[in-house]
Amino acid sequence: MPRGAPSPPPERVDTAEVARRAGVTPATLRRWVADGLVLGAPRKAGAPWPPIAIAHARIVARLRQRGHSLAEIRRATKEGRLAFGYVEELMPTVDATFTLRQASRKAGLEPALVERIFSMLGFAQPEHLGVEDVEMLEQMSEVLDAGFPLAAFLQLLRVYGQALAQIADAEVRLFHLYVHEPLMRDGTPGLQVAEQMGELTARLLPFSSPVMDHVHRRLLHHFIEQDIVGHMEADLGSAASAELGRMRTAIAFADLAGYTQLTEQQGDAEAASTVERFVADVTHTLPDEARIVKTIGDEVMLVSSDPAALADWAVGFQALASGPQRPRIGIHAGEVLYRDGDYYGREVNLASRVAARAAAGEVLVTREIVDLAESHQEFERIGEVKLKGFSEATELYLAIVPELG
Amino acid sequence: MGVELESPKEFKAVMDQVFSLMSEDPDMGPKLRDANVPQRFDFDDVDMVVNVRAGTSDEDANLHWEWSDDVDWEPKVQMKMSAEVAVRYFQGKENVPVAIARRRIKTGGDVKAALALIPITKPVYAQFRALLEDRYPHLVA
Repeated sequence: MPRGAPSPPPERVDTAEVARRAGVTPATLRRWVADGLVLGAPRKAGAPWPPIAIAHARIVARLRQRGHSLAEIRRATKEGRLAFGYVEELMPTVDATFTLRQASRKAGLEPALVERIFSMLGFAQPEHLGVEDVEMLEQMSEVLDAGFPLAAFLQLLRVYGQALAQIADAEVRLFHLYVHEPLMRDGTPGLQVAEQMGELTARLLPFSSPVMDHVHRRLLHHFIEQDIVGHMEADLGSAASAELGRMRTAIAFADLAGYTQLTEQQGDAEAASTVERFVADVTHTLPDEARIVKTIGDEVMLVSSDPAALADWAVGFQALASGPQRPRIGIHAGEVLYRDGDYYGREVNLASRVAARAAAGEVLVTREIVDLAESHQEFERIGEVKLKGFSEATELYLAIVPELG
Repeated sequence: MGVELESPKEFKAVMDQVFSLMSEDPDMGPKLRDANVPQRFDFDDVDMVVNVRAGTSDEDANLHWEWSDDVDWEPKVQMKMSAEVAVRYFQGKENVPVAIARRRIKTGGDVKAALALIPITKPVYAQFRALLEDRYPHLVA
């Protein structure tokens, strides 16, 4: 709705309609209301139902379908545990207007491809699709018609699906942990919990999509620039020599030595804060050519088109790191398989094993990194080391960390 | 791309403006004041030293700096670099860990505190660059 446009008049919904939406008989619904299961439901016959009560009736129906007893639902309602369900009601529901075949025809895509698209995005196989689903498919069809390779497109969709699932999951979990649970702990009545959460969500919802769009565009700008620079300054041999979907890159893993012990000594929250600071330090200090691929607990995976700069960053970062939790870093370079936004293959596994071999404060590298290093970089040969999972020994070097002062 | 300073006097004038930008910025200034990390910069090629500290409770400015070692506070972090590297650094053109590895920046003291200042001071890069483009184009890196 455009900003400033008048709100539509509130929908007037009676008991029969609410029962239909919840998939139960009006008699069942009336019994739930009489038993105090549906918060906010009108007591007076013929009175309109407020949206919050309509939502609650649907939640009760879903819980009954899943086998929860009336006593359990009553207790959960009273304690405000069902309040999150109201938030869901603020989301637009998919109006199942088209069958899969109709939607496919309208978008100009094969039904099998539409199924694959939904699978890549992380959804169940679609039997019925809404108008917005079809609009999305039409746009996808245009992208494919414009010549974007299908193999790359499907990978992109999987990345979108995974990233957006992680975002949605984080939004719900953080809302639950920081809003819902504190309200319940404070003993706020169920209906009030629902109202407060509904109000907050209504304010948050219009905010998230523009933020994601803006951040996405800014990051896209950054990575396009890096790709151009990467083409100009490819230090890792000819990109043309790599097979389709494969590329040469330097890979580093960095983690905090003694993290398990830290968790034992200081507890989860303090350990998590330490990891947060570590990841922030890595993020804020990385050279332009490098980026974080992912974080796994206290471990960070990095890639860079410039192995020498990555090695420089690693030793410089170690020089700056102090305190009881020193990082350990391992770096290797080689040809990797790029798929679904991640990097796979033997060389990635090897880089991970090299990092696991490093001690706190150390940067261990392979022969490949030493060969690509610049004249100012110093390494001390450790020797041939048998790394876990690899049949052949790997030649490892210790990168010399400059002394401070 | 290298930057060519005309004179130590020009360098001092430029650095004074960097510190002013950081001190007066409504975001960076208070954060740097709260961080309270006194820093000593040694620009060895021009034989100049500047000591920077957070403003005290009776001072309006968020940062206070003096081009001297004769100050009544102890630095928590020391950074040594050439004047050229400094001008590049405040434009975001010198990555600190990489510059340390390449011996272009030497640092000492509470380096962990220095690490924490990096994200706070990042907004100055664009501001400083804009200032140089306007008034000192020969120093744009």
